[in-house]
Amino acid sequence: MSDRITLEELAELMKKAAGVTVSPQQLQEQYDAGFDTLGIDSLGLLGIVGELENRYSTPMPPDAERSKTPRQFLDLVNSAFLAGA
Amino acid sequence: MSEPRARRAAVTGIGVIAPNGTSTETFWKSTQEGVSVLDRITREGCEHLPLRVAGEVRDFEPADAVEERFLVQTDRFTHFAMAAADLALEDARLGRADTGEEPFSVGVVTAAGSGGGEFGQRELQQLWGKGSRFVGPYQSIAWFYAASTGQISIRRGFKGPCSVVAADEAGGLDALAHAARAVRRGTDLIVAGSTEAPLAPYSMVCQLGYEELSTVEDPAHAYRPFTDGACGFVPAEGGAMVVVEEEYSARERDVRVRAYLAGHAATFTGASRWDRSGEGLAQAIRAALDEAGCAPEEIDVVFADALGVPEADRAEALAIADALGSHGKRVPVTAPKTGTGRGYCAAPVLDAAAAVLAMEHGLIPPTPNVFDVCHDLDVVTVRARAAELRTALVLSRGLMGSNSALVLRHGAVDAS
Repeated sequence: MSDRITLEELAELMKKAAGVTVSPQQLQEQYDAGFDTLGIDSLGLLGIVGELENRYSTPMPPDAERSKTPRQFLDLVNSAFLAGA
Repeated sequence: MSEPRARRAAVTGIGVIAPNGTSTETFWKSTQEGVSVLDRITREGCEHLPLRVAGEVRDFEPADAVEERFLVQTDRFTHFAMAAADLALEDARLGRADTGEEPFSVGVVTAAGSGGGEFGQRELQQLWGKGSRFVGPYQSIAWFYAASTGQISIRRGFKGPCSVVAADEAGGLDALAHAARAVRRGTDLIVAGSTEAPLAPYSMVCQLGYEELSTVEDPAHAYRPFTDGACGFVPAEGGAMVVVEEEYSARERDVRVRAYLAGHAATFTGASRWDRSGEGLAQAIRAALDEAGCAPEEIDVVFADALGVPEADRAEALAIADALGSHGKRVPVTAPKTGTGRGYCAAPVLDAAAAVLAMEHGLIPPTPNVFDVCHDLDVVTVRARAAELRTALVLSRGLMGSNSALVLRHGAVDAS
């Protein structure tokens, strides 16, 4: 497994779990935009967290599903990954 | 001080996603031509089940109608609902900009008989196949009866009164009545109706327990109410949504009033007690006529419930005779649902849509596959019958005992 979740993987998960199509480049540009403006609601983010947990067989930090922006989310899950590595 | 004028509930838009047409125009064309689209069920995973014939919606591509982010979180019954709501709103000339200005003046009411069975089955298979961590979070909302109301309001930004009627098949008419009441109380617009998607393995297995279900394999003989060949009903998917609007709101927008929701009543007589349903249905008809200020002789056409179970058909024929008196033997009766199947809560909403279209076209659609009527009713068979139609009566009963009647007046009639 890779040591961190990338923008590419987040974009793929947003499509898979929440049906939102966004390119990694767009995600980079909207790194600090709210998930809500990207079309991801709280259940969508919960689905992304669940998908990551199943994919990497590791629990995500409890606050991950409350992240407001892609930056917050990736910082949080990646810090957990680094701590667990 | 002058008396405030009465608020009247009008139908200004119709959106249909039905087995015999995925637009209002194609639905009406097939309906008035008496085309039957009942056919062998082709849905994956259903081939081995003893229920063989249904009305499937085959000409519908969800991705062409609804954004993907709404599709992933919803069941097929809500896909139909969102698509039908769009069609109804477009028909009523209500774009996003129009309703966006006053979001609190637009509400949603739907009825549902079984919710999102296909979505629920998929997630429950994840639960028992892989474990609870593999159940997606949208399971919490997608299979819920209320899903269609919620998703229509979220997707279109409607913030007015929203509700769901869970009242058996007849709940489809009750949803229209609920919308009419909300409009009379002060909301300008309600998007109301019902869509169902009961043709998936889990949902079909649930229906197998209904003794009223037809398991006949020949589509031409599977659903023949009011005949000696009556052998139960055939289920269907799809449905209709309508825009119910305050009359003057429509006039200010210069939009055509297609019909008025003039009267409604509902009664309850117990699950599968078809002998008693006649009395309940008759009482619903009388109370609906009373609310509409309508004499029995004014009813120009009856859209029957037409369950296709001999005892239930007899009860309905007696109810029509009982509530309409001698007029009950003369009034034309039709049941176009014999050509599409019976979409649970959606069935009477499709009938209401067909009734509005029938009044507009001056044409009573026929009852497909029914030729040899064995009750004392003037059932319209074979081909559509031309008639001046000012008032229509739509009847519905549910397997669990609800009975409803709805009186619709043609939009061109000024009943005030």
